[in-house]
Amino acid sequence: MSSSYLEHANTDKAAHIWRYTSWKKTHPTGIINDIPESNSPEISISLVNGNPIPEGVSIHDATDSDIERLGHELDFDHGSAAPKFITALVPKVTILSIKDKVKIESPLIVKISTSGNICTARLLIDIGSQVEAEIITIIEGDANWTGILREGKYGANAIVNDVVTQITGNRLLRCDALSLERDAQVKAGTVNASSSQAKVDIRHWLNEPGSSLKVNGSILSSNEDHLDSHIEIIHTGRDTRSRLEWHSACGGKSNTTGTGMLKIDAGAKGADAGQLFHNLLISERAKANSIPELEVLESEVVGCGHGTANGPLDEQQLFYLSTRGFDEEQARSALIAAFLNAPLSDMGSEPLHGWLIERIEKHLNMI
Amino acid sequence: MEEKQPPLLKIEGLEASIDETQILKGINLEILPGEVHAVMGRNGSGKSTTAHVLMGHPDYEVTKGKIHLEGNDLLEMEAYERARAGVFLSFQYPHSVPGLQVGNFLRRSVSAIRGEEAAKGPEFRNMLKEGMEQLGLDRSFLSRYVNDGFSGGEKKRFEILQMMLIKPKLAILDETDSGLDIDGIRTVAQGVDSAIRGSNSGALIITHYNRILEHVKPDRIHVLIDGRIVKSGGPELATELEERGYDWIEQELMDNE
Repeated sequence: MSSSYLEHANTDKAAHIWRYTSWKKTHPTGIINDIPESNSPEISISLVNGNPIPEGVSIHDATDSDIERLGHELDFDHGSAAPKFITALVPKVTILSIKDKVKIESPLIVKISTSGNICTARLLIDIGSQVEAEIITIIEGDANWTGILREGKYGANAIVNDVVTQITGNRLLRCDALSLERDAQVKAGTVNASSSQAKVDIRHWLNEPGSSLKVNGSILSSNEDHLDSHIEIIHTGRDTRSRLEWHSACGGKSNTTGTGMLKIDAGAKGADAGQLFHNLLISERAKANSIPELEVLESEVVGCGHGTANGPLDEQQLFYLSTRGFDEEQARSALIAAFLNAPLSDMGSEPLHGWLIERIEKHLNMI
Repeated sequence: MEEKQPPLLKIEGLEASIDETQILKGINLEILPGEVHAVMGRNGSGKSTTAHVLMGHPDYEVTKGKIHLEGNDLLEMEAYERARAGVFLSFQYPHSVPGLQVGNFLRRSVSAIRGEEAAKGPEFRNMLKEGMEQLGLDRSFLSRYVNDGFSGGEKKRFEILQMMLIKPKLAILDETDSGLDIDGIRTVAQGVDSAIRGSNSGALIITHYNRILEHVKPDRIHVLIDGRIVKSGGPELATELEERGYDWIEQELMDNE
């Protein structure tokens, strides 16, 4: 595994994925040939409503055949260094399995609690066909550097809301490599509330006909946070649909980057894709970059669009709230919360939304 | 001898400009508690500017004059302080706030203006329920985002719902009737009546048309031309304006000069 990483350790700094946060800066020691010792985090599952875990849902150590079946070949093009590095470090591989046709009535919490200096996890996601579930993965703990690789598939005709909340407080590298089988409907959410330095590379493959994906991001940066998210959606199947909506509220002296890549491969007829990045600059010293890109190799598509919008808080909205008795601080915080809430409310059901809101509000109050 | 009631709102010689262009050129107006006044005028006469200046919009600069609400100097206050002092503006074009749910917004707004106690408990819930029923708003409305994707009529009804819950001392309705159908106007008028009539509050209705004034009977009508109130009268003035337009008033003014 380490040799596979070392083949990719020297990254192309001009490549989009490394332009805003280099691999050297992302690497835990900054010495790119270094493959340091790593802890494993504690990973547990529970239901938001406190009920027992239903039959057909489990988390356990993965076997070699699981890895072969669900582990993607990690072809992240120029970005391969990151997932291959985590693969080289992890002491063990874990699998979250939800068997075919299982319906979970309450959001499932997957808690990843990190500790020590360097902590890494490779989590295989095996969602069976016709599953209906909401999954909230919480990455938390006090490890100085955390690396999380999530790989796997959402089964045919599954309906899944899969939200990852990043509340580590320290440095985070997260890579997702997930594929959607035929007619799978997935909402993939990311909530970042307190990572000081996060490099996130989320990739979804819509390989089979009829699959549908919505990627939502609700990112709050403050202090001197450096957050860099790359979201890539690859349409290879026919009649596939994807939307990306990424909201970043940027405060303090933070530096926030969002890069998006929508690829529509030749043969993905009837594909319909769109991406939108919104940056709300809540401090004069905050910086935000958004770079949406398209690569369309098929002419018979329904649509493929991209856009970005950046700006400070809207003066007219502030005035409207002030006429309703909100003082300046109340109006500002209400608008920031509203901005982050818009994609949040699209991540899943009301219980899931309520749970997320509680988390976000805590962090909003802190800044 | 009957003692003269102190005015709820007193505007004296108000002049205001935006981007160094003077819009208001000396407005004088008094509203007594329980009174409903209407300001009518053509586009560009300064009607909406009057509303925004009263509410304290930061884009407008007051260059001269005074505004007092129950004797308190409004010009010394920020917009949120005016709201808390009892001024309410129903916007002509209310702003949308995607991500902020109506229910949450209403509770926070009532809490900021009338105090925390007023925004919780059965009394608030009953008032909200009754207001929504009166305005024909469905319960699902509460989980929508503020003015986001609302129809023109829904926006106006939502403004009136806020007014009913906030219970202002002075309600300023900036063309609340425009874009509404007859049923909508009647509903809004009932909302205004229930919030203002029989209380010590007052209202200033800014409108182009006579129609809303047929439902909310105003005590006084004022005609605004080029930033000045040039004529005031009883409710019959609105009918006259509807029939004859504004030319005759302008002619009167020229004749008097």
